[in-house]
Amino acid sequence: MTKRVLIVDDALFMRNLLRDIFSEAGWQVVAEAENGLRAIEEYNIHKPDLVTMDIVMPELGGLDAMRRILSEHADAKVVMCSALGQERMVMDAIKAGAKDFIVKPFQDQQVLEVVERVCGE
Amino acid sequence: MDIAKYRDMFLSEAAEHLQQMTALLVAVEQQPADKDTVAALFRAVHSIKGMAATMGFSATAHLAHHLEDSLDLCREQGQIDSEQIDQLLAGVDLLDGLLDDITAQRPERDVDGFIAASAICLQELGPEHMTPVEVADQLDGEGLRLELHLAEKVAAVGPRLLVLIRQLEKFGKVLETSPSEEQIMQGGAPRLLRVRLQTALSQEQLQQQLRQFSELSDILFPVEKASQRPQKKPATAASTVRVSTDLLDHFINLTGELITNRYSLQTAASEQNWQDLHEGLGQLTRLVKNLHHQVLQVRMMPLASITGRLPRAVRDLCRSSGKEVSLEIEGADIELDRAILEELTDPLMHMLRNAVDHGIKERGKVLIKAWRERDQVLIQVADDGCGIDPQKICQRALERNLISPAQAETIRNYDLLQLICSPGFSTAAEVSATSGRGVGMDVVKTAVERLGGVLLIDSVLGEGSKITMKLPLSVAIIRVLMIDCAEMLLALPITRVLQTIEILPEEIQTSGKQLVISHQGELLPLLSLRKILKRPKGPKQKLLPLVITEVLGRKVGLVVDRLVGQREVFVQPLPTPFERLRGCSGGTILGDGRLMFVFDLQSLLEKRRG
Repeated sequence: MTKRVLIVDDALFMRNLLRDIFSEAGWQVVAEAENGLRAIEEYNIHKPDLVTMDIVMPELGGLDAMRRILSEHADAKVVMCSALGQERMVMDAIKAGAKDFIVKPFQDQQVLEVVERVCGE
Repeated sequence: MDIAKYRDMFLSEAAEHLQQMTALLVAVEQQPADKDTVAALFRAVHSIKGMAATMGFSATAHLAHHLEDSLDLCREQGQIDSEQIDQLLAGVDLLDGLLDDITAQRPERDVDGFIAASAICLQELGPEHMTPVEVADQLDGEGLRLELHLAEKVAAVGPRLLVLIRQLEKFGKVLETSPSEEQIMQGGAPRLLRVRLQTALSQEQLQQQLRQFSELSDILFPVEKASQRPQKKPATAASTVRVSTDLLDHFINLTGELITNRYSLQTAASEQNWQDLHEGLGQLTRLVKNLHHQVLQVRMMPLASITGRLPRAVRDLCRSSGKEVSLEIEGADIELDRAILEELTDPLMHMLRNAVDHGIKERGKVLIKAWRERDQVLIQVADDGCGIDPQKICQRALERNLISPAQAETIRNYDLLQLICSPGFSTAAEVSATSGRGVGMDVVKTAVERLGGVLLIDSVLGEGSKITMKLPLSVAIIRVLMIDCAEMLLALPITRVLQTIEILPEEIQTSGKQLVISHQGELLPLLSLRKILKRPKGPKQKLLPLVITEVLGRKVGLVVDRLVGQREVFVQPLPTPFERLRGCSGGTILGDGRLMFVFDLQSLLEKRRG
């Protein structure tokens, strides 16, 4: 069955990049969100198999958005998208329930390995 | 994976990055908004961080991370100011010190003080603090022991370790981890996780489960070791050098030719074929010469390898003194034996400091120039400052009893300038923090002479100073003048010989108690090598061979029995306890098996005085 993903990132460039990676690998990108608040809305609508969540975003940050999603949907699978030097925030996210993380600059293989591992469980 | 074997590689690469950073930081001050330079700096320190963390040098990684943050901030600001450059340079220095610690296999020095002191300007970045994390050598107790090594490519170590722990929790009960989750959360975690796991899975099953993590470079199941740890090997900081593979190919080809040559010589000898033997020896001579040349190539390094720090030094001196000094380096690609270059680092720095500190008053230029003259290399530090005042030197020399009032009347400028190399001599009216108090030029001179070189000082009041080091290309194989004295064959490095002449006994004059000759308009004191070596007087000769050389900055004529000739020799240091023989800087074995000593006139005379 085709896996469904929600992409959350404030940068269009990053969203496009991830969309390409997922589409090429046969995933269905059900929605994109440019901040945490939109992410929560989209999650509630689509209930995707996976969320890729940027950390630093306007309106509502990725960590808080994840926490709110998890409080409603304990089985949500959230993968954090981090830049170098954001290790502390990523660790906080993992402690708070993120399944895994991917590091920018993204590499197709690295991204796919992580998300498929998370969804394969 | 034995990480220790990558230590040397780490050290050499990290050192290169640091050198590059220093150069970039000095460069970026001229163009503070140059994004490319800031990015290059970021990459350099980032590489160090990654390597150090991989190696488990947590303080180094910690500091590199901190500097990375600082640069990140600069990047965000879009420019980098002088204060930040100072701060970053200090950080680079500290990293340098950490590399020294790692080289000497000492524990890494403390970096928290530095980081805390400079953290104020980083507040905007939030609490991205890393504390060095210690990993236990082994975990004791029940359960299955696991050792997980993170691959080099893993960028975020701490988060990855946490994800792995979460993963392991699915296979059973995690009894203990090192580093612990708390330690990992603090940051600066190494790429290694030791775990005790209570699980129903077998090693194979566990291994299979973990294989889906390509972030893991190694999955080990260590057995419990006896508590007695083997003694670590003593630190041996073997210096390494990069050799091009082309050169190695040359070596193997030469070796091949030498083997062939050996067989043809053997055949010629057994057949007593003098013609072939003669030809074979000719070939051997060529091969050995070639080999010598190639080996020297390996030892050669460009002057640039030690001048990298100089622009930084000038910049620091300018900032602390408020002077405006530009530095120009010419001939940085001139190559010298690495052993010589290593000895030149400090003298060169000192000469530069002198030029900026004492030579140039407010603004000026320092030119470091290197060039080759036959088998010697000349390195000159020239400034367009105020020059050395002979009057002041004379005054100071009198105060210090380095010359007598009578000498002061007649002393020539050349000899006066040489006096600045006397121990404890200084003409700087005030003592400056950088150049100190006149220590230095004597050290420079000693270092140059120890290498078989000569230091030349030239200065014109009001126009500047030129200090030149005249050095041999290589220390191991040098050209010497062979001298016969009291049936002993002695060698003097050719770099120490100013001239050889022969004089008639009638030319000798006396000045006080001293025998002198008049040579090219100046009076040269004569020294007898026989007398210095406490040998009986030799037979009367019609012509006296004389070696004109320099002792303590003064030209002298050394009377010897016979000048034998010049040749290239391979000088080896004398083995203990003979290396303590004063006046003898090494020995070489001649073709007929005789030992020839290379002597150093200056230390021979010092012994005599003592």
